[in-house]
Amino acid sequence: MYKTEVRGKLINGDKSFASISREITAPINDKTPLWWYFAFLISLGMFGFGLYAKYITVTKGIGTWGVNNTIAWGWAIINFVWWIGIGHAGTAFSIFLLILRQKWRTAINRAAEAMTVVAVFCASLFPLLHMGRPWLFFYIFPYPNTRGPLWVNFNSPLFWDFVAISAYLLISASFWYFGMVPDFATIRDTTKSKIKKAVYGFFSFGWTGSSKEWLRFEGLSFVLGGIAAVLVVSVHSIVSTDFAVSVEPGWHTTIFPPYFVVGAIFSGFAMVLTLVVLMRVLYKLNDFVTDSHIDAVCRILIFISLIMGTAYMTEIFMAWYSGSEYEMYTFFRNRIFGQYAFQFWAMFISNAIIPQLFWFKAVRKKMWMVFIISIIINIGMWYERFNIVITSLSRDYLPANWATYSPTWVEVGFFVGTLGMFIAGVLLFFRFIPIIAISEIKSVAKFNKPRRDHLKHAGHE
Amino acid sequence: MSKKYILGVFNDEDSLVEAFEKVKAKGILPVEVYTPYPVHEILEGMGKKTRITHAAFFYGLFAAIGILGFLYYAAVIDWPLHYGGKPFNSFPSFIVVTIVATILAVTLLTLFTFSVRAKIFPGKKAEIFHHRATDDKFVMVIDKDGLGEFAGEVDSIIKEHGEIE
Repeated sequence: MYKTEVRGKLINGDKSFASISREITAPINDKTPLWWYFAFLISLGMFGFGLYAKYITVTKGIGTWGVNNTIAWGWAIINFVWWIGIGHAGTAFSIFLLILRQKWRTAINRAAEAMTVVAVFCASLFPLLHMGRPWLFFYIFPYPNTRGPLWVNFNSPLFWDFVAISAYLLISASFWYFGMVPDFATIRDTTKSKIKKAVYGFFSFGWTGSSKEWLRFEGLSFVLGGIAAVLVVSVHSIVSTDFAVSVEPGWHTTIFPPYFVVGAIFSGFAMVLTLVVLMRVLYKLNDFVTDSHIDAVCRILIFISLIMGTAYMTEIFMAWYSGSEYEMYTFFRNRIFGQYAFQFWAMFISNAIIPQLFWFKAVRKKMWMVFIISIIINIGMWYERFNIVITSLSRDYLPANWATYSPTWVEVGFFVGTLGMFIAGVLLFFRFIPIIAISEIKSVAKFNKPRRDHLKHAGHE
Repeated sequence: MSKKYILGVFNDEDSLVEAFEKVKAKGILPVEVYTPYPVHEILEGMGKKTRITHAAFFYGLFAAIGILGFLYYAAVIDWPLHYGGKPFNSFPSFIVVTIVATILAVTLLTLFTFSVRAKIFPGKKAEIFHHRATDDKFVMVIDKDGLGEFAGEVDSIIKEHGEIE
């Protein structure tokens, strides 16, 4: 149990264990509110539009997109990196805060991990469709084939990327799922509906909460937490090598792996904030997701925003200091003052400057301001990916190859479709899965009861 | 169920742990303890150890060797191809795939081990002693046969901190 007296309470209100179970499972047991159906319908509409765009892409080909020979990586790669970045926060949030023994993570980690799984799924669609002939995607598996066997190129970042994304999707989904097993058992044992009892009973895999199960469960969380921390850092580093390994001005830099990892965590934490603020308002979870939780995430965002600003300035400084005229051209003529200046400044202001408003307590306390800033960060991070992908490709070494890029409605539709998929996924999560880890929140619940001599157990958590 | 077992039902962690320690001091180990969240005193007190972390280490070790071996076999022995004049055995770039695939292998194999050892798998029917043990009760299950002359004392220990069901 949570016994230190240095920090305040993690949960507000005088709650018993039973009321914790009841309040968190309320969205599952109660009548579904009208706004849910409304939002779900809209997200399905967006998803349907996305499906149509994908249908056009597959039947007519990549020619329906705005990409050209020069800017072969347009909208698809921008959105791929954007979604993967958002997907990173869930795992980063759970894992890093688990390793740092930050108990307040318990109220948020479930939502963050749910977001990860849906976002990584959205991300994986983009490279798949960008292949042009997605039904042949299995060519990228290194399997014994009839073409030799001709193996794939293990030195290619695109292959690394494929391995990293598929591993990440599987690992984040299983990490998320196994965290939910004890909570499914709680629903199974507390619900009154027979159907829910059967369904959640199946998904709870026969969990009873015995000491043998908990012992191994703790061992499992320890192992998965430890190695997934490595995964979080390595996956986005690998995504960055898609760029850094090529000899393009603006891409070919050693700052890319840490820059991408930090950027991913930044956009992901912003999306966690968006989601958690909504969750709090829609399901009235203020007692669990307290003001101090929001405050803590905002403070982390200030710090990451400063790192982002430093990274932007470092890139610009190195472009000048390297003395390479191509780097100079990309950064100064193309990004800061050129054709894509709007995107550059949108990125810089929304990622490095606006989050600095979180220094003020008054801003951190106003939920609508926190919400708006979190959305601005998400947009800013989208522009960062636009800035990286498009500007470098549009003006490289040969002026004969210069081109401009703007997306067609098919590409936009594809993106809108993934947004719809994301919203629909999150809504289903709100409706059918305990949005806060019940067993974890119980372990940090503090009750105003006479406690045993806690010096004796000072070594325990 | 209650014929063979005594169920001590407690309302919070502290009463459970105190009763658990007193019962243990009498030389009686409960058959099983059910809690809504992991209680470290109980996990240690029950005397079981898990070797899941050791298993994970060996999975990782063998997976890393296996994957590096496969990459070497495919790129050097089976079908060597020149990629921009790079050596066939480009060890540093093989490391990237090795790390990620090793993490995947460790995760899946550890999950599988957990599933087998803790007997948590799809389709399993839960053996529930007390239906509120996953909600708000802390349940200690004691075998009546093993009590011997302490039967009365164990009863009074449980009653002091909780209830008998």
